[in-house]
Amino acid sequence: MFLINCPYCGERDQSEFSCGGEAHIVRPKQPTELSDDQWAEYLFMRKNIKGVQFERWNHVHGCRKWFNMVRDTSNDKIHAIYKMGEKPPVE
Amino acid sequence: MLNQEYPKFEKHSFEGLEFSLSEPITKINLRGKKKEFFTKIGKMLSIILPIEPNTSSSNQLFSTMWLSPDEWLVYFNGEDKQLFKGLFDEISKFNFGSIVDVSDQWICINIKGIKTFDLLSSGSPFNFNNFKQNKNSVTQTLLNHTDVIIHHKEINDINLFVRRSFSEDLWLWIKDSARFI
Repeated sequence: MFLINCPYCGERDQSEFSCGGEAHIVRPKQPTELSDDQWAEYLFMRKNIKGVQFERWNHVHGCRKWFNMVRDTSNDKIHAIYKMGEKPPVE
Repeated sequence: MLNQEYPKFEKHSFEGLEFSLSEPITKINLRGKKKEFFTKIGKMLSIILPIEPNTSSSNQLFSTMWLSPDEWLVYFNGEDKQLFKGLFDEISKFNFGSIVDVSDQWICINIKGIKTFDLLSSGSPFNFNNFKQNKNSVTQTLLNHTDVIIHHKEINDINLFVRRSFSEDLWLWIKDSARFI
């Protein structure tokens, strides 16, 4: 259990949020030109790393807004939180 | 099909705690970002929508609660279909925003007494320490795993909004938990 600072509502318990998986995955501009393998790669394959990861989160039991988070998946330490459309504040 | 009858919740009192059903109440969900949206709402409800997160604003007739940066819930006693129609015609029809009558979707339960926040804290992950000191604060959180909107309208006097289909379960939990607070 950990606390997440929603960029809209403020600090809330993690149980109010839902993780939407890896962030900053760019949709291919011409999906019809991709092979099945390339499309599957975009659609299903995720890094799922143990360490610092960029993720999308949704405040599902609060304001229902999506935002991005930089989180260390090994210890749940949150490095940064930023709104959708904003650039990641850390490399 | 929606049961048009309100749940049969009898008023209950315990030491330092009292809760009852507050219905019928009209609840209207407002969504919008455009300048015209705010102008029309201000003109028709004579109220300024709260921009600051987790706050509310009220006048003699209406209470409006901040739900998200572009979403509010307005509620008032009684039923006034004309007001909803007016808002819908002036805002939704011109695509300035979205107006939805959610009166039948949400049930309002009033809880008051000095143990109000002890009861809420026993079933919610939300930290009520600051919330309980600020009149007119609003939060959306979980209570006994159920989505709720809590409006702190007066000190130790809250309106709790819960979806109709979850209301009976939550009411039973409140009744049960109140015995142990």
